[in-house]
Amino acid sequence: MADRELTFEVFRFNPQKPEIQPYLQTYKLNETTGMTIFIALNRIREEQDPSLMFDFVCRAAICGSCAMIINGRPRLACKTLTNTLPNKIKLFPLPVFKLIGDLSVDTGTWFRHMSLKTESWVHTSKTFDPKAQEERMDNETANKIYEAERCIECGCCIAGCATANIRDEFLGAAGINRVARFMLDPRDERTPAEYFEVVGSEEGAFGCMGLMACDDNCPMELPLQMQLAFVRRKIAAIGLGYKPKKGIKLA
Amino acid sequence: MLLQKTLTKSNKTDLYLDLAELTSGLLLVGFLWTHMLFVATILISQDMFNSLSEFLDKYYLSYVGIPFIVVVALFHFVIAGRRIPTRMQEQRIVWQHAKMLHHTDTWTWVFQTITGMAILVLAGIHVWMVTTGWPIRAVNSAHRMESFWWFYLVLLIVGEYHAGFGIYRQFVKWGWFPRKPIGYVTKAITAIILVLGLAAMFVFVQLGGAL
Repeated sequence: MADRELTFEVFRFNPQKPEIQPYLQTYKLNETTGMTIFIALNRIREEQDPSLMFDFVCRAAICGSCAMIINGRPRLACKTLTNTLPNKIKLFPLPVFKLIGDLSVDTGTWFRHMSLKTESWVHTSKTFDPKAQEERMDNETANKIYEAERCIECGCCIAGCATANIRDEFLGAAGINRVARFMLDPRDERTPAEYFEVVGSEEGAFGCMGLMACDDNCPMELPLQMQLAFVRRKIAAIGLGYKPKKGIKLA
Repeated sequence: MLLQKTLTKSNKTDLYLDLAELTSGLLLVGFLWTHMLFVATILISQDMFNSLSEFLDKYYLSYVGIPFIVVVALFHFVIAGRRIPTRMQEQRIVWQHAKMLHHTDTWTWVFQTITGMAILVLAGIHVWMVTTGWPIRAVNSAHRMESFWWFYLVLLIVGEYHAGFGIYRQFVKWGWFPRKPIGYVTKAITAIILVLGLAAMFVFVQLGGAL
């Protein structure tokens, strides 16, 4: 196994140089023990092609920077061992996110937009007292919140989602999971109607078509199906008992 | 914010559409499975099949049921069809995405939209054939099956496929049960209905040949 020669086919395109059409470039590399895609890409950049663009920070599945399409599936480069893959490995950047160049995409802008849209902060009327003891939370609630908080914002669920690929405004599993996290949080004082305003549309809870590529491709193995369904049921129940104010008409 | 979007914003439309898709879908799956069980009474005997059909006629259940299901089916096509990527570029994105991802549930959804459109046409023809050859009796059905068994074979497969994966997807979306077991259950039911349907078809074709 350790003396395989791997062939990498890597998507190359620099939006700064649109005159050069996107193409696939081939690199060859001898596999080493415990090699990940992250290690392989670094060796390619160091030994063969310093112009190759890709992202990484932590190399330990914490930062979520190195997500890319590896043989068709959105995965983390640092968490994907080459010995689980065939000799030919095809690498593409994640779709949906803004392409910076080659394998590098800007997930930050997307996630910031999502955070603002879902208002990802604890809405509270209480004034913070730095000297007071922190409010207690029961262990079960804390664990439930933590389960949703484990999201590393790598973008694999968004890239794998057919809806997100064709509907720009769709919040996707990452966004809906984020809403679930705040709905569980007893410190968040938002009313049901306020939550409905945030995700009670096809941009949120009702946009999901149930293809579950998010659930099947999440590198952190978050229970995304259950989070999406939880928000859908909750938001539907709120919506059925909720009276929005009447708007004005143009004609 | 844009004026036209601000003024047409409706808070609850998307919720109602989603619920309408769910309800009409469940109704149609319920109907289809019942329909196939009724058809399968031919496996017991011709008399059984005929008396069930006469019973449905006698209490006007067919006369109410058929138009009702036609309306629900058309309604479901419009509501669930809102999710179909209709622009050429969206189509290209979805096909490319499905080919890239090698993901079963994404492919089954692609075929669900295709079978949905196929059902609209095929079931329309089926309803036309049945209502113009009224009443439903074993002999009439046998003649129809003998001539058009290939048509019914296609309709059976696309119908059961769409219903089986449709109900699975709704369960997945609403999360009433865990995903894996519900997949097995819906697949098992679909397989049983398919077998019953094929067996009934075989009996009808035999019967048509003997007449």
